Amino acid sequence: MPANGIPIDMLIGVWVATGLTLFIYTFLYKDNPLFKLGEHLYVGISVGYSIVITIYAVGVKLLWVPMTEEGQWQLLIPALLGLMISARFFPKIAWLSRISFAFVVGFGTGTIVPRLISSNVLSQLEDTIRPLATMTASGLTYTMNFLDPKSDINNLITLIGVVSVLFYFFFSVEHRGMGQAVARTGIVFLMIAFGAAFGYTVMSRMSLLIGRFDDLIVFSGAEYGRPTFVLIALIVGFLIYLHHRDKRRATMTDSASS
Amino acid sequence: MNQPDRSIVSRMLTIDRRFIFVLIALATLIPLLNPVNLPIVISPEVRSVYDHMESLPAGSVFLLSMDFDPASKPEVYPQAISLLRHAFKKNLKVIGMTLIVTGTGMAEEVMATVAAEMGKNNGTDYAFLGWRPGASAVILSMGQDLVGTFPQDHYGTPIGELPVMHNVKTLRDIDYAVSLAAGFPGIDEWYIYGRDKYQFELGGGSTAVMAPGLYPRLRAGQINGLIGGLRGAAEYEKLLDQSGKAMAGMDAQSATHFVIIVLVILCNVFYFISRRQKKV
Repeated sequence: MPANGIPIDMLIGVWVATGLTLFIYTFLYKDNPLFKLGEHLYVGISVGYSIVITIYAVGVKLLWVPMTEEGQWQLLIPALLGLMISARFFPKIAWLSRISFAFVVGFGTGTIVPRLISSNVLSQLEDTIRPLATMTASGLTYTMNFLDPKSDINNLITLIGVVSVLFYFFFSVEHRGMGQAVARTGIVFLMIAFGAAFGYTVMSRMSLLIGRFDDLIVFSGAEYGRPTFVLIALIVGFLIYLHHRDKRRATMTDSASS
Repeated sequence: MNQPDRSIVSRMLTIDRRFIFVLIALATLIPLLNPVNLPIVISPEVRSVYDHMESLPAGSVFLLSMDFDPASKPEVYPQAISLLRHAFKKNLKVIGMTLIVTGTGMAEEVMATVAAEMGKNNGTDYAFLGWRPGASAVILSMGQDLVGTFPQDHYGTPIGELPVMHNVKTLRDIDYAVSLAAGFPGIDEWYIYGRDKYQFELGGGSTAVMAPGLYPRLRAGQINGLIGGLRGAAEYEKLLDQSGKAMAGMDAQSATHFVIIVLVILCNVFYFISRRQKKV
């Protein structure tokens, strides 16, 4: 452990994390070898990590241990089905993989179809078709609270939105006259939905930026050896070198061609 | 009448995008270094999750499925910290797990860190089940036989030997489940294959990108609350009265949004001026 009290493995992690963050952000200037290095490391490490965890969680904990220690030899059946998928790599026995895929498709369809109909169709349909006014003990009331998602006015807006958007995607009738008005209302609802989705996307991306900047600020501390400042200086120096090198090469190419 | 300089309009419309990157970087960096603590208003969907957690008596079983990976850490990780702090503070039995293989290490880290901070022990106060392949099939399987789906926890201890898992046999024994999701599998799968079939209360936390798509589920009562993005995490931190990474990032979030709105308006103004000049 170094004198400042931070374990050496954490210190290495901090320098690597800072470096890779800055490598990726160099793309904002232009594509360069540092960005490519960071990108390839990200992909490689993600895949490698996934493979190791999968082998341990599935191969060891779900297969090897139950079979050897608990005698659950019936697990050989799913193991065999899994191995048969790999038969696709060998043309002569590739047909074996179809048996596994048939099992996957059959099981998947059987479980997904009823669940999706229940959750995504029936439940959502039930929520769309709500009473447009509320009957209470004192008579018929109409709630106009826009902030309450289940108010009568919002139920009406939801109904208009669903019907007009569905009509917009109904192409068997020409959108003229009244039909055109309904279809255009559908477009307005779609635009509002796209705008909301885009706004949330911007918010999400900014949050990720804040997260990385927050780490860069923390890692600029003296206790870590100021990796943020050191690495920014090195990376900027490297980018200046690349800029001059590319400029020199372009000049040489121009002079050679002329 | 002074006409705007044509060259300025065209130059602004073709401005080097790197100027915009610098502007956004400054709008993020300055509030992070000098926070002004803008007010945070609690939304009903975040309050719903908080209120439901508050309503659970001590000893209730709380399942937190951390279905995100390091790519979504800035948004969803603070949500996980807040929910775990709340659950441990309420002395709930906490079960952690993940459906995303690349999130396993991070999910384990957040559980162990928050548990240590709150003085809770693995096995007696909480269990981390780790990851299992199969996504929606895992949820279906947990609904029928949770112990069979996770025979051992992440550390290799048989589930039956963990006191916290006593009387938890299927998803029906869960009092409240929250999925913190960044894509597939996530909240949708927990509803479709879990809550809809096995009838337990479900809440959600997600990245901001996913949030608009989850509002129909919220309105229909399929999930009882939603923590959306860093903003949602900040609201939950405020409800807990514990300042964390999310609240610290809210000034920067507001500043960047302000810059983007100004840029969008300016871009439109210059576009319409240039169009009018072309017509003239």
